[in-house]
Amino acid sequence: MTPDIARYLAVGAALFVIGALGFLTRRNLILMVLSAELMLHGVSLSLVTFSRMHQSMEGQSFTVFLLTVAACEAGLALSLILALYQKRKSLDVNLWSTLHEADVPPPVDDISIESTPVQQFPKLTPAGNVPVPGTAGSGVNTNRT
Amino acid sequence: MQWLSSHLDLVVPLVVSALGVWWLMPQRRSRPKVVGLLLSLCGFVILEGSLSGVPGPLTESVLFTIFAIGAVLCGVLMVTCRNPVYGALWFALATLSTCGLFLLQSAPFLAAATIVVYAGAIIVTFLFVIMLAQQHGATAYDQQASQPFAATVGAFVLLGALLATLQNWSVQPSAADEPAVATVQATASSSNPLSQPAPGQTLGTMNGLGRSLFGDYLFAVELAGSLLLIACIGAIAIAPRRAQGTL
Repeated sequence: MTPDIARYLAVGAALFVIGALGFLTRRNLILMVLSAELMLHGVSLSLVTFSRMHQSMEGQSFTVFLLTVAACEAGLALSLILALYQKRKSLDVNLWSTLHEADVPPPVDDISIESTPVQQFPKLTPAGNVPVPGTAGSGVNTNRT
Repeated sequence: MQWLSSHLDLVVPLVVSALGVWWLMPQRRSRPKVVGLLLSLCGFVILEGSLSGVPGPLTESVLFTIFAIGAVLCGVLMVTCRNPVYGALWFALATLSTCGLFLLQSAPFLAAATIVVYAGAIIVTFLFVIMLAQQHGATAYDQQASQPFAATVGAFVLLGALLATLQNWSVQPSAADEPAVATVQATASSSNPLSQPAPGQTLGTMNGLGRSLFGDYLFAVELAGSLLLIACIGAIAIAPRRAQGTL
């Protein structure tokens, strides 16, 4: 094995580990799935490197299958995330910790961090004529009283 | 301890980059990002320098350095950023860098397919969902990582183990290993003959990939198609039913 190949494998390992780190630390469901995709990037980089190392196309064929599985995974994960979001109206993974071990305390939220308040934009006062259904295009406008 | 002191060239950059990544993690009090970025950049550059033994052609090594550092750094920024939209965009950049590494390894079709599938489809869908679900700007759970210190230590210990294994591989191309590798190659070529590049052909052409996919792995391709169909049906079944126009 040439040192060149070791460098590529090192980058693949680093990508995998960074993805795992993101999966463990982030609390946003979407970012967790994205981190899993980063792990898949690391694996596919390693597979392509193995393909060049053995001078055979098998690694690249595996990478094509890996792409397929990644696409399936992303679609299923997003539909799951939408279903979960509809139940709790939040993407926080800690809200789904009812299955935690009996002797492990549930995760505590740091209350000192607040969400930024929703920005309230000024509403325009209604002006002009009220459209009346049925009269559109007839050219006759009824003034608001 | 002895192992640690004999592998200082591996341990020191790993510790430095782990410190940088830990510094970048979203916390209650925001730290200056530059420090973490510089620390992790230094760590990864030293790591890259310690791994490259024999220098190859200059252009290739320069391109490799750019793409490798880009991929790893964009990955770190994606994992640590506070806004999920920026996270998705950093992930797109990491994908582009990985595709550059694919191109350097003579896999042009895979590079194009990965860009199309990831940057074209997956990122756009993720952005869609982020915008559907997080219309209210920054949220509390994005500002706070869970167990950042333990996770960073664990992840970088795993990375150190992987890199130490790689170093051992590149250091000892011992003569005793040669016959084993030769038999493995022989069995591989006899079981999957179409996956070897045809005589007179270079590795990584689309012709070769097609020969391998639709020759040796034809059933697997059919299975992958069925998997896509099943995932499609499953996504439709799982996705929530809702009234028109609401989320």
